[in-house]
Amino acid sequence: MHVKRYFPYMILLAAPALILLMAALSILYGAKEIDVMTIQNAIFQFDPTNVDHQIIMSSRLPRAIGTMLIGCALAVSGALMQGITRNYLASPGIMGISDGSILAVTLSMILLPEASDLQRIIFSFAGSALGAGIVFGLGSILPNGLSPVRLAILGTIIGTFLSSFASALAIYFQISQDIGFWYHARLHQLQPEQVGLAIPFVVVGMLAALRIARSVTVLSLGEEVAVSLGQRTTVVKVLAAAAVMLLTGSAVALAGKIAFVGLIIPHIVRFLVGADYKWVIPCSGVLGAIFLALSDIVSRFLNYPFETPVGVITSLIGVPFFLYLARKKGGNKYA
Amino acid sequence: MLKYSQERFVGIMLTALGLIVAAIYISLSYGVFDLTFAEVVKTLFGSQSNGEYDVLIYQFRLPRIVIAGLVGAGLGVAGAVLQGVSRNGLADPGILGINAGAGLAIVVFMFFYQGKLAGTDWFSILAMPFFGLIGGLAASILVYLLSWKNGRLDSQRFLLTGIALGSGFAALSLYITLKMDPTDFHTATVWSVGSLFHANWQYSISILPWFLFLLPIIFWKAHILDLFQLEESSVKSLGVSVGREQVILLLCSTGLVSACVSVSGSIGFVGLIVPHLAKSLTGIRHQRMIPLCAMLGMLLVIVADFIAKNIFAPAEVATGTIISLIGVPYFIYLLFRSKA
Repeated sequence: MHVKRYFPYMILLAAPALILLMAALSILYGAKEIDVMTIQNAIFQFDPTNVDHQIIMSSRLPRAIGTMLIGCALAVSGALMQGITRNYLASPGIMGISDGSILAVTLSMILLPEASDLQRIIFSFAGSALGAGIVFGLGSILPNGLSPVRLAILGTIIGTFLSSFASALAIYFQISQDIGFWYHARLHQLQPEQVGLAIPFVVVGMLAALRIARSVTVLSLGEEVAVSLGQRTTVVKVLAAAAVMLLTGSAVALAGKIAFVGLIIPHIVRFLVGADYKWVIPCSGVLGAIFLALSDIVSRFLNYPFETPVGVITSLIGVPFFLYLARKKGGNKYA
Repeated sequence: MLKYSQERFVGIMLTALGLIVAAIYISLSYGVFDLTFAEVVKTLFGSQSNGEYDVLIYQFRLPRIVIAGLVGAGLGVAGAVLQGVSRNGLADPGILGINAGAGLAIVVFMFFYQGKLAGTDWFSILAMPFFGLIGGLAASILVYLLSWKNGRLDSQRFLLTGIALGSGFAALSLYITLKMDPTDFHTATVWSVGSLFHANWQYSISILPWFLFLLPIIFWKAHILDLFQLEESSVKSLGVSVGREQVILLLCSTGLVSACVSVSGSIGFVGLIVPHLAKSLTGIRHQRMIPLCAMLGMLLVIVADFIAKNIFAPAEVATGTIISLIGVPYFIYLLFRSKA
């Protein structure tokens, strides 16, 4: 336990350096080789006529920032969900959230074909909230519905339902291709403007998560304990749900469905720093950002010079981890 | 137990048969181009030869109905067996990752061979179910082994492992399809959403042997599934070699699922809904329930395919989409009814 006390400080102190390092690596490697001096120049003495500078400022830098933003958001919302539901499999990826967002964006393209990117992102939030709301709503009224197995099945099923509905609508209104463009705009197509739009949402979500971290720790000991310690559990749950919606909604709006980041990272973090969410939440954010940035770099080289969707990489790492959890913890117990 | 009497069972089977015949007739005659009753009958029995009608019925509508029926029957029976073996009413080939495993193997097969073989080549058509089988088997063996705990099958873990492996296989399939050239990529995408669009006679013939071989084994073993509903120790004390019978039944249902997946892509929920319907109609005896599952599965997929073809005609929705739109609400209803 002695070592664990220092881990959170170590992670948080090392965070700025690690994040800068990942950003540099993410900018350095890609289809076109760019050296460190050029990056430095591009950032401090930007020259619009230089092609390399243009690549860095309009493509590589937004990609690096966006990726880390998404990784951070997903990991924090995973940590919140696991803390609130006391379910070790809860995570944004398997909870039907991204499918809800697909449905909402499909609807927005049908009803408001002229909507701007910002409006689409707001629709995507609403859709994420809808997906999460249905899954957790059903989970809490079903007998034993928040147990790991039930929640995982509900998430899978509701996700299938929402995306089937979306695809039927898309076929009827003949907008399948537009939806495809919206959702297959993967990390390499992150636009500086979109990333800029998402930053405030993620920041608000992060602040909310940090604000309720202590209450989440208490709640993760069990509903009865929390109530008897005088906590207003409903308030905490509503705040946590709002934070999850902001964080996941912006991640999905930026990059579509990226599975398993929100599942794995909180587990690793709890292993490193213990179960105090005061530390789990910020450390999840840091490690999530680093993990997704690393996966993104790997995805550029797996099938060089073509890119592989980053979701493939995170799934390939995530599935064995999920199996390990299912094996170690079984289906019914709360973690 | 008058409710589940023999007469009632026969009655239900006959009703189901009647509904299937009606569904087949409707699918044969209505569509983008409607036929009258007389035209359908005359063309089917060859007493009138009109080139257009022959092509329409024999090349387009009938093969598709046959495939839909076979796939429905196979998935329904496989679902019943899986639920019986795992003692979990939520088991389904799709949720257990068997579809995804078979799908991955077929995508790999397309990746390595399809470019070199013509699409209608007999070898490639007959080989697809085999590759599907290898993938499906690998998936179900992995799920089975990983959910084995303290010498018995842990049914909660059975589902969790399936969900996890399923998403892993899906990710691998995505990776491989992205490495394909554009034409193969298109074939693979159309195939993977669960569509009967490419139905033809060769496909039906390629999966028929699997049905002829595996269905009798399952019917023969049906009484053992009844015993599996008891506690595992009681089943053992009745002299049933539990592990061996589980493996045999699991292999048979995997074979059926893989054959279906190889022609129709991944169609979910049939294996989930149909056994529950059958159980509520005839009771839990598998010797009655499994044949009824085959009938109901046929009916469900034929009707769903008819809807998929015609609801937004001339655009076509994937059959799997229609079935999941019907299946999900039913599934949630099931979750509400079950205790824990």
